[in-house]
Amino acid sequence: MIAFTDIVGMDMAKQALMLLAVDPSLGGVVVPAAVGSGKSTLARSFADILPEETPFVELPLNVTEDRLIGGVDLEATLAQGERVVQHGVLSKAHGGVLYVDSLSLLDSSAISHIMDAMSRGAVLVEREGLSEVHPSKFMLIGTYDPSDGEVRMGLLDRIGMIVPFNTQNDYRARKLIVKCVLGENGNEDTEDELKMLMGLIQAAKEQLPLVSMTREQMQGLIQSAVSLGVEGNRADIFAIRAAKASAALAQRTDVDEDDLKLALKLVLVPRATRMPEPEEEVMDEMPPDEEMPPDTPESEEQDAPEDSSEPDSNEEEEQEETPDMIEELMMEAVETELPDNIMNISLAAKRKSKSGSRGEALNNRRGRFVRSQEGEMRSGKVAIIPTLISAAPWQESRKQERKKKYGKVNTALVINKEDVRIKKFRDKSGTLYVFMVDASGSMALNRMRQAKGAVSHLLQNAYVHRDQVSLISFRGKEAQLLLPPSQSVDRAKRELDVLPTGGGTPLASALFLGLETAKQARTKGVSQIMFVLITDGRGNISLQSLYDQDAPKATKEEVENEIEGLAATVFAEGIASVVIDTQMNYLSRGEAPKLAEKLGGRYFYLPNAKAEEIAMAALS
Amino acid sequence: MTQTASAANNTASTKAKEGSVAKKASGPKKARTKKKQGQAYPFTAIVGQEEMKLSLILNIIDPRIGGVLVMGHRGTGKSTTVRALAEVLPMIERVKDDVYNRNVNEYIEAEKPQKGRKTLAPEDLTIEDIPVPVVDLPLGATEDRVCGTIDIEQALTSGVKAFEPGLLAQSNRGFLYIDEVNLLDDHLVDVLLDVAASGRNVVEREGISIRHPARFVLVGSGNPEEGELRPQLLDRFGLHARIITITDVAKRVDIVKRRHEYDEDPQAFLKKWTREQKKLQKKILGAKDLLPEVTMSDEVLTDVAKLCMQLGIDGHRGELTITRTAHAFAAFSGDKEVTMDHVRAIAGLALRHRLRKDPLETMDPGEKIERELAKVLGEVEEV
Repeated sequence: MIAFTDIVGMDMAKQALMLLAVDPSLGGVVVPAAVGSGKSTLARSFADILPEETPFVELPLNVTEDRLIGGVDLEATLAQGERVVQHGVLSKAHGGVLYVDSLSLLDSSAISHIMDAMSRGAVLVEREGLSEVHPSKFMLIGTYDPSDGEVRMGLLDRIGMIVPFNTQNDYRARKLIVKCVLGENGNEDTEDELKMLMGLIQAAKEQLPLVSMTREQMQGLIQSAVSLGVEGNRADIFAIRAAKASAALAQRTDVDEDDLKLALKLVLVPRATRMPEPEEEVMDEMPPDEEMPPDTPESEEQDAPEDSSEPDSNEEEEQEETPDMIEELMMEAVETELPDNIMNISLAAKRKSKSGSRGEALNNRRGRFVRSQEGEMRSGKVAIIPTLISAAPWQESRKQERKKKYGKVNTALVINKEDVRIKKFRDKSGTLYVFMVDASGSMALNRMRQAKGAVSHLLQNAYVHRDQVSLISFRGKEAQLLLPPSQSVDRAKRELDVLPTGGGTPLASALFLGLETAKQARTKGVSQIMFVLITDGRGNISLQSLYDQDAPKATKEEVENEIEGLAATVFAEGIASVVIDTQMNYLSRGEAPKLAEKLGGRYFYLPNAKAEEIAMAALS
Repeated sequence: MTQTASAANNTASTKAKEGSVAKKASGPKKARTKKKQGQAYPFTAIVGQEEMKLSLILNIIDPRIGGVLVMGHRGTGKSTTVRALAEVLPMIERVKDDVYNRNVNEYIEAEKPQKGRKTLAPEDLTIEDIPVPVVDLPLGATEDRVCGTIDIEQALTSGVKAFEPGLLAQSNRGFLYIDEVNLLDDHLVDVLLDVAASGRNVVEREGISIRHPARFVLVGSGNPEEGELRPQLLDRFGLHARIITITDVAKRVDIVKRRHEYDEDPQAFLKKWTREQKKLQKKILGAKDLLPEVTMSDEVLTDVAKLCMQLGIDGHRGELTITRTAHAFAAFSGDKEVTMDHVRAIAGLALRHRLRKDPLETMDPGEKIERELAKVLGEVEEV
């Protein structure tokens, strides 16, 4: 076990954890980091700097709902003849820490329960005859590898601090970590260092109520939140708390610039849904064809009042810390952290993940226990409580019956075959539809509209069936994941509305990205996946060119081979597919039907049909 | 033959004594009434989000409006507001300790004489005042707790087959709140749809057959980005309020400051807001009293019908909701006559989610309603 003070690197994460130790109402810390960065070691060592006997509960990824929120303790109930309650993990973490490793792989129902507990400070147990409220206030520490997918925004919103994702691998630091693990670098001062740190935190805790913040500073932080497009009010509160905790750690009573900067970095910037004004500066640094991250949610809905948010650079008065100055501070923080961070945090799912890096063990997870039903003992898992419930009323009469028959009863309970109830599980998630929309120049604009119509109808259908949808567009050099798998048809529609067209047709890249998306979805328990390709099938950009800039232009044959290989993989992975051909008859050389054939999927010709018909046909 | 709700009290047990109905209803369940999770944040101290607040208030004034769906950005106070609602709700009368919150008449009606039992007279019953119940339905709830099921404790210990009422029973005549309603499991949605349509909960399981009233105002909230609502459920909600992040910095500073004040010393904060709370409560009660006197002229009614027709809204639920809501809004404004101004103020709330879904439509539903309304009122030509 490595102590908190011995861990090398990850200074931001450490800082965040210390702030959390000072003010647990900050809710928690999320640490996105690559495999092997020592994030989970750090998270576990957090217990070192907390007061003794603070609960530290680690949440296993495959936790079942009844273990999470609690339920009836069967053994004790049977032994005592009255209902005995077993507290769930959420309740056990009360007053302490709940730690989740691989937070992004946690299934969505578990996440909903954690979210609910965090906003309520309690768990409502309304299950199997139980109706209880268990207090559940905890700090959530979550670590995850962004290449495994993203954490649900609703959950992140309730967690105070999100450590900026650092892609740089400091080789030396890692070497030190390894040494630490091997015990080669045993630090004899560990104990003293830990003691000192705990003393510091204790002092800061006492200092915290004395820390004050000016109205201007508060306004400044909130203004920054507005111009970064941060959703909701929770972040405002967290930012203020973080700044104050930082001041308390430094044994100050006033919040200073460094505190504000830290609050910006840990709380506000990671939640940004758009680039702050002035946009030009930041935008200019980006390659011209990479526009604003397209899946920043809501950006068009909440236009900040520009007058109030724009830093006033004309007048440079000698004021202490006006909101405007804090705004400038924000720009500074943003410049050092952005655009990398915005891209990393909100679009991390876009990055190529190392295939099969982890998560395989999760595949045997079961669905959600929904209800129980009469059934054969061997045909599934026995739902014990419902079985008991159905047997209970007949105990008196059965015992008497047995007595008559055999003269005595030697079991406490007489359970007959017809009492047996079997657990019914619901397949956690319906189908995932991955829409791959060809937005290359060869798609004439009117055809695009038609394609959008078909997709919209498919989306509507997915909406009714509560399926998940994901949207990939491909044009220019590379395919782009516009929408990671989500149930939000609204978002998919919005992305589709603003989809630009033009450029080459990187069909191979789209298939590759689709496969990555499918792989991730599978680790999350989605079993049925369908690719819906809306294209003319004329891929002309090779995947190779993406990784090797200097490679000679791929020949037509090479491109075709790539596509063929990928299509075969799609088929082998058991992914169903539909190709919707958008090409005019007289131009077609039959590429799209060929593609459908390779994918083992179905083929539809768009120009002949109405959007609605295609949608229906594709889904039938 | 289906038993009435009395089965809950007067169970299948032969041991149940006659005439002890009212007492038995409390039974061992009394200890189970939910502990209060501390005082909620005061409703009146919530900054902005007027649309959501108004929808909730109108539903208190007239529960027949059919509930509210609040959808919007995360962290904007959706569930805080709904949970704050309990403190401004009026009191209702029920038969003492009745698990279904029935009033005297409902109770007597339901407990109609069965073989060998006397008809109950109002004098036989004790009455109590309780605040309108607000029941939280958590996502992880199982169907048996929602609908009610056999009481396993009694079954195991005394072999008595007693019905243990669920959340639907608790929420009768009150509010049923589901946070993250868009993530609710399909089988629970089905149950809710059934019950909401009929106003009764029918339980046929584990050898019990019970029906009891379950009329509640359904309140749901959620973030549309996390998933959407099934159309049938969407249609069940009377009103649809939308909520977005406030971008006014001064208001946000206020929100933060109030929240901080509340967290520091909830009692003092609540005290500070008592007057506002009382004022609102009084206004709501006044509106409830005024509601039966509120009328709507045929002209206004015609215009409402025209509006719904123009918008191509299927069925009559749209018209019915908009009319009821307009009445409640008029009462809340202290007016006895519904005008088109009242209608205009609430049209978006009542109709927004009833417009036919057009995938290619980019116009905001609120704007569309506003535009059609202007057409109906003949205001468009002037512009």
